[in-house]
Amino acid sequence: MEQTKQRMTDQERITMVGNRARHDKYFYIMLQIIGVLGFLIIWQAAVIWGWVDSKILSSQTSVIQLFLVKLGDIAPDGATLGTNILSSLKVALSGFGLAILIGVPLGLLMGWYKGIDSFVRPIFEIVRPIPPVSWIPLTIVWMGIGLKAKAFIVFFAAFVPCVINAYTGIRQTSQVLINVARTCGASNFTVFCKIGIPSAMSMTFAGIRVALGNAWATLVAAEMLAASSGLGYMILMGRQFARPDIIILGIVVIGVIGVVFTSILGLVENKVLGWRKLG
Amino acid sequence: MSMDENKKVKLSLKNISQSFVVKNKVMDAVHNVSFDVYDNEFLVILGPGHCGKSVLLRMIAGLAKPVEGEIFLDGEELKGSDPRVGMVFQELALMPWLTVMGNVEFGLKIAGKAEKERRRIAQKYIDLVGLTGFEKSYPHELSGGMKQRVGIARAYTSYPEIMLMDEPFGQLDAQTRYAMQEEVERIWQQEKRTILFVTNNIEEACYLADRIILLSNRPAKIKQIYDIDLPRPRDTVHPDFLRIRKEISENTDLAL
Amino acid sequence: MTEKRVELSKAEQRERNLKWLYRILPFFSILLLIIAWIAVSGEGSDFPSPWAVWTRFLKLLEKPIKKVSLLGHIGASLQRVFIAMLIAWVTGIAFGVLIGWSKKANALLGPMFMAFRSVPPLAWIPLITIWFGTGEGSKILVVFIGCIACIVINTQAGMQNVNRLFLDVGTVFNATSKQRLFMIAIPSALDAIFAGIRTSASAAWMVVLAAEMLGAKSGVGFLITRGMDSRDQALVLLSMICIGIVGAILAIVTQIAERVICPWTRTKR
Repeated sequence: MEQTKQRMTDQERITMVGNRARHDKYFYIMLQIIGVLGFLIIWQAAVIWGWVDSKILSSQTSVIQLFLVKLGDIAPDGATLGTNILSSLKVALSGFGLAILIGVPLGLLMGWYKGIDSFVRPIFEIVRPIPPVSWIPLTIVWMGIGLKAKAFIVFFAAFVPCVINAYTGIRQTSQVLINVARTCGASNFTVFCKIGIPSAMSMTFAGIRVALGNAWATLVAAEMLAASSGLGYMILMGRQFARPDIIILGIVVIGVIGVVFTSILGLVENKVLGWRKLG
Repeated sequence: MSMDENKKVKLSLKNISQSFVVKNKVMDAVHNVSFDVYDNEFLVILGPGHCGKSVLLRMIAGLAKPVEGEIFLDGEELKGSDPRVGMVFQELALMPWLTVMGNVEFGLKIAGKAEKERRRIAQKYIDLVGLTGFEKSYPHELSGGMKQRVGIARAYTSYPEIMLMDEPFGQLDAQTRYAMQEEVERIWQQEKRTILFVTNNIEEACYLADRIILLSNRPAKIKQIYDIDLPRPRDTVHPDFLRIRKEISENTDLAL
Repeated sequence: MTEKRVELSKAEQRERNLKWLYRILPFFSILLLIIAWIAVSGEGSDFPSPWAVWTRFLKLLEKPIKKVSLLGHIGASLQRVFIAMLIAWVTGIAFGVLIGWSKKANALLGPMFMAFRSVPPLAWIPLITIWFGTGEGSKILVVFIGCIACIVINTQAGMQNVNRLFLDVGTVFNATSKQRLFMIAIPSALDAIFAGIRTSASAAWMVVLAAEMLGAKSGVGFLITRGMDSRDQALVLLSMICIGIVGAILAIVTQIAERVICPWTRTKR
């Protein structure tokens, strides 16, 4: 019998598998770098070599320059980049925070207590399909174009997923666990706190993540439609002054802040739901 | 026990070893296993849980390559999956988006058979496994036993010369399991094929097998080979049956 | 009346009362909502009452805005949504399949896609209007951006989570890699893809509204800004109600479509 496959020692195999895994990792990281760099190079080249008019697309270098200038300069929208970011953050966080504080408990209670469910649910179902953006005209009439109005709209956008996920999460509580607690003589409220809420947590967090995305997206809309400051307002002004560099800077900042928020939330989730980790 | 000389060797495993690298350690799954499978034989590979018997089957099916050794089918080496080998999976593996008919004719569709031909062959095996009338049902509408019948029918449609069955009844309840064992025996008698059946159930092995290959705990080695020449259909409380069962049982390693 | 009177235990009696209460509470809450509405819209308030909205509705049917009836405006918005969604479905599913199936494509294109999707769709509007003006195409493009991300993400997840077992079945039957993709991987990702389509419908509806509010000559978003500009609160509220109803109908239609196209998912939900 011909010996086609050379017998390897265990150590050789381990090194070989390890090498291959490392090689794969580097290969994929290279591909990722190529993808991002390729995009940036094409963009830069398009502007420098005049494939597109610089009036409609700015180069990265000019955006970076603008970023440094905008840190201290209020032109043309009337606020520095820092002020705009702060103003947006204030609105987003107050609306988002309020949505969690009200939405999650409401969803949990609705999911657990049938009475609350049958009372609140119809109103919720009526209000739910109305997109938050469409509340803007009414809120302007009620509250002007200040922080309160925008926070309300952001709240509304984040509120719905918080309620829905907390509700579904607690509804999926294992009946076995509930029965175990009941046989141990726990009251309904104790079971709700000790079993219902913890087992709804992972679903609720998924809802909060959706809520965060919604909140941030709606904030931009609200600031474009009814505001005199903030990142959304800044890019709208960029449009009005035909300054693509301002728009691109705004888009990048908005995107980066969104990513930062999401990763912070991911960290919090890992902390709170550490038990959920699979081995 | 001696082998019958006039039996033709269908499948032959030569010094098969398999191991995996897991977290900087080499885990041996199968160690130097060699055996022959004869034409139209019902061979049961019996072993304790997680001993590597499924790994053995996956190598024959071409789903994994052995680290060492060769597998020969009709005298030529098997490399990768082969149309002459069919397989019934342990976890059913029915496509939830296909009806019973769609699942059974799946292999024929891959083989590029025309629709009419497909339907005819699929219908034949749906009838054979006793699922007539359920052609349009989806897997989630079927019971566990019925699902496994679909899996068996699907494997038969490609006319494999060797049928691999990987603990096909492991997830069924005891009642259904008995019924399905009888079914498999009936189908085997009707459609004579070589069957390689993997199980960890000694009674099931004794009931179905012409020959039993008993494997050790991991890494799987051949512990002993038994010829079961009891008349079929077998009586599970017949003294001879119980004697063999006891003999194998005492020789079996405890699963970890 | 029944002859035999069944004696109810106290607990049963209580349960029966509760059940009755649960049935009546929804009506009570809706009634409360209507009463609150009427109360808010009382004398001296510029919040329109239910009948003000109703008369505005009748008036709008007779006297269209910009020569387009209410249904016409809804239709204009829906048209934008459908065109954008159709394009987004085709390209989004194709792209999702690509980066979900091929690890190399995912490494190459994934990071840029992640960057793209972390920007809210509406933030693109200023740039798009600089590039393509404020025409119909720009609006469709914004809606397209608004709904493509969720389709790609769901498709990608579905393609990455294809059950290994199904692929093994393919291997045993000697399937080619093309067959594995089209006969196993894509069908098994269909329910994930449909989840994406469902999300995309509601996202598209929201984005079209915002895009229209930022400048359009037709559509429900236009109606709502028109109401705001002319201090016609009844029109604003009416538009909001229409938007809500259409949004709800869209959600129901996609759900029904899913049940028809993917009947095997019926038991899962």
